[in-house]
Amino acid sequence: MKNFTIKKLKIRPATIIVFVVAMAFILLMPQVNSGYKMLCLNLTLIYAMVALSISIMLGMGGQMTFAGVTMMGVGGYFTANMTSGRLGFAIPTLPALLLAPLFTALVALALGLVLLRLRGTYFTFATIGLVQVAWSFYSMNKPAFGGYDGISGVPKLDLFGFVPADYNQWFYILAGGLVIVALIIERIRKTQFGRSLAAVRDNETAALTLGINVYITKVYAFAVAGAICGFAGALYAMMNRYISADTFTFDVGVRYIIMAMLGGVNNTIGCILGAVLIGMLPEWLRVLQGYMQFIYGIGIILLMIFMPMGLSGVFLTALKRYRKKKKIKLEHRASQTAAEKGEA
Amino acid sequence: MKPVLRLDTVCKRFGGVIAADNTSFSVLPGEIHGLIGPNGAGKSTLMNLISGIYTCDHGNIYFNEQDITQMPPYERARLGIGRTFQTPRFLQRSNIRDNLLLGTDLSNRFGYTSAFFGKKGDDFESELNKLMQYAGFSFDWDDDISGIPFGQRKLLEIVRSMLAHPKVILVDEPAAGLNNSEVDNVMKLLTVAAKERGIGILLIEHAMDLVMNFCEQIVVINFGKVIASGNPEEVSSNQDVIEAYLGRQRNAQN
Ligand SMILES: Nc1ncnc2c1ncn2[C@@H]1O[C@H](COP(=O)(O)OP(=O)(O)OP(=O)(O)O)[C@@H](O)[C@H]1O
Ligand SMILES: [Mg+2]
Repeated sequence: MKNFTIKKLKIRPATIIVFVVAMAFILLMPQVNSGYKMLCLNLTLIYAMVALSISIMLGMGGQMTFAGVTMMGVGGYFTANMTSGRLGFAIPTLPALLLAPLFTALVALALGLVLLRLRGTYFTFATIGLVQVAWSFYSMNKPAFGGYDGISGVPKLDLFGFVPADYNQWFYILAGGLVIVALIIERIRKTQFGRSLAAVRDNETAALTLGINVYITKVYAFAVAGAICGFAGALYAMMNRYISADTFTFDVGVRYIIMAMLGGVNNTIGCILGAVLIGMLPEWLRVLQGYMQFIYGIGIILLMIFMPMGLSGVFLTALKRYRKKKKIKLEHRASQTAAEKGEA
Repeated sequence: MKPVLRLDTVCKRFGGVIAADNTSFSVLPGEIHGLIGPNGAGKSTLMNLISGIYTCDHGNIYFNEQDITQMPPYERARLGIGRTFQTPRFLQRSNIRDNLLLGTDLSNRFGYTSAFFGKKGDDFESELNKLMQYAGFSFDWDDDISGIPFGQRKLLEIVRSMLAHPKVILVDEPAAGLNNSEVDNVMKLLTVAAKERGIGILLIEHAMDLVMNFCEQIVVINFGKVIASGNPEEVSSNQDVIEAYLGRQRNAQN
């Protein structure tokens, strides 16, 4: 009888490859790019955080939401209001960066308690409503959000004395932030919360009889996703020094969903990859600028037909098949040697 | 001895169908209690009422004499009501480890945040190793649950419910579709649960030999109504029971 022990720390080749590629990417990119290109790349890292928040709700929990873009706005406007001094006071940037996700999580918690009373598609539609309502507030309410002019004069992040001088230096800060977010998500996946979410996604009845409060688990996920978006929004406000409602439209929200879908909605590396691809595509395909909407559209349709689990899904299926083949081969060889021994 | 589970005049209708009609019975700790009846008699409905998937139209359900009739299903599970399903319910997109860990999670409900920061609960591995000795097969951690044969999945579902250290387990037709050695292993697991751990077992099963051999008490229902109850001898000599089952055979022949 075989005994079960969880392999404590088994590093697979795939993990090492991901790590090396990520390090090379982080170290190399600021060396070979600058100025506007670097800004695009930086924005991509911020987008990736929002895409990852979608992977918590949709990938782990099976709840489709458009609210990411709105929550990013909550974090962004919070930071702008707290640090620009337009309200008559200003707090330092580092505390603001830490308070923004907390504040956004509280807002998301309150919204989640209401919206997640709805289930499935009804919840999704309600989040569309939320995005529209929030955008109206952002673009029209002057006291809280600066109205159409937005809020300017947001100071740069001061990280214990390190103030990024240009977009290249910002890149390191954002990459660091993204790595933290990615690690949190990978940790969630492996603990009770991640398993509960998977149960909510795959079988609500089983989840309930396994003691999982389905509703509260979804609300909790919505709050965690909100915190991540709030963090992204705060970084965005500080890098951009200015924030306005155009960044938080429904259209932009849909793009975050596409990023997550393209990379693979339940895969951390996939979501980041999706964000980089969608974020940089307009840069790489400058000549086709006028046709971008068309390309996106065709791309989404093909994606849903040929790889519903995104790029990472295709990769993981291939990897699994390869491992299985290898296992069968090993077993075959073992039985062969056993047979030979028997003959001898 | 105080019953771990008690039903008191429980009623449930689905439109015109009366699935539970003034049903009352109780299950003692450490007892294997059979629940039998023809197809469509309302056996699975009773399990859904006990675990809280359905709500009672009338009547009460008690767990250790605490009224749980209005309690949501996840709280009943946390109190110690475990169950399996007629067709096993697993997370199709998760591997076996995560599927089984959900059982352990249930007895370690100290909150998502403390779990995130590394709070440890029950020793999952040694507990699982013990149970798998009785289940009689092994598997690869990282395999998808969908690669596991049906019979083993039914066994795993019992294992998962036992990992949660419940006080009572509702088992819905564990032997249906299993081969002989798998059935033996099911009964080994259930016997360990009842006799070594004092868990009350409510067992739905169509295989009469199993029910007669393993159950101390049996309750028979037909059209949602209790038509007989008692120990195996009493039940098998009961005229109503013989009729209900013979009637079913006659219908099947027509
Ligand atoms: N959710 C539901 N909605 C409507 N009718 C239902 C529902 N669940 C059960 N029923 C009906 O209630 C009756 C009892 O069904 P139940 O599944 O409890 O029978 P059972 O005794 O478990 O039968 P079997 O041995 O075939 O599993 C059946 O007539 C069934 O059609
Ligand atoms: Mg049934």
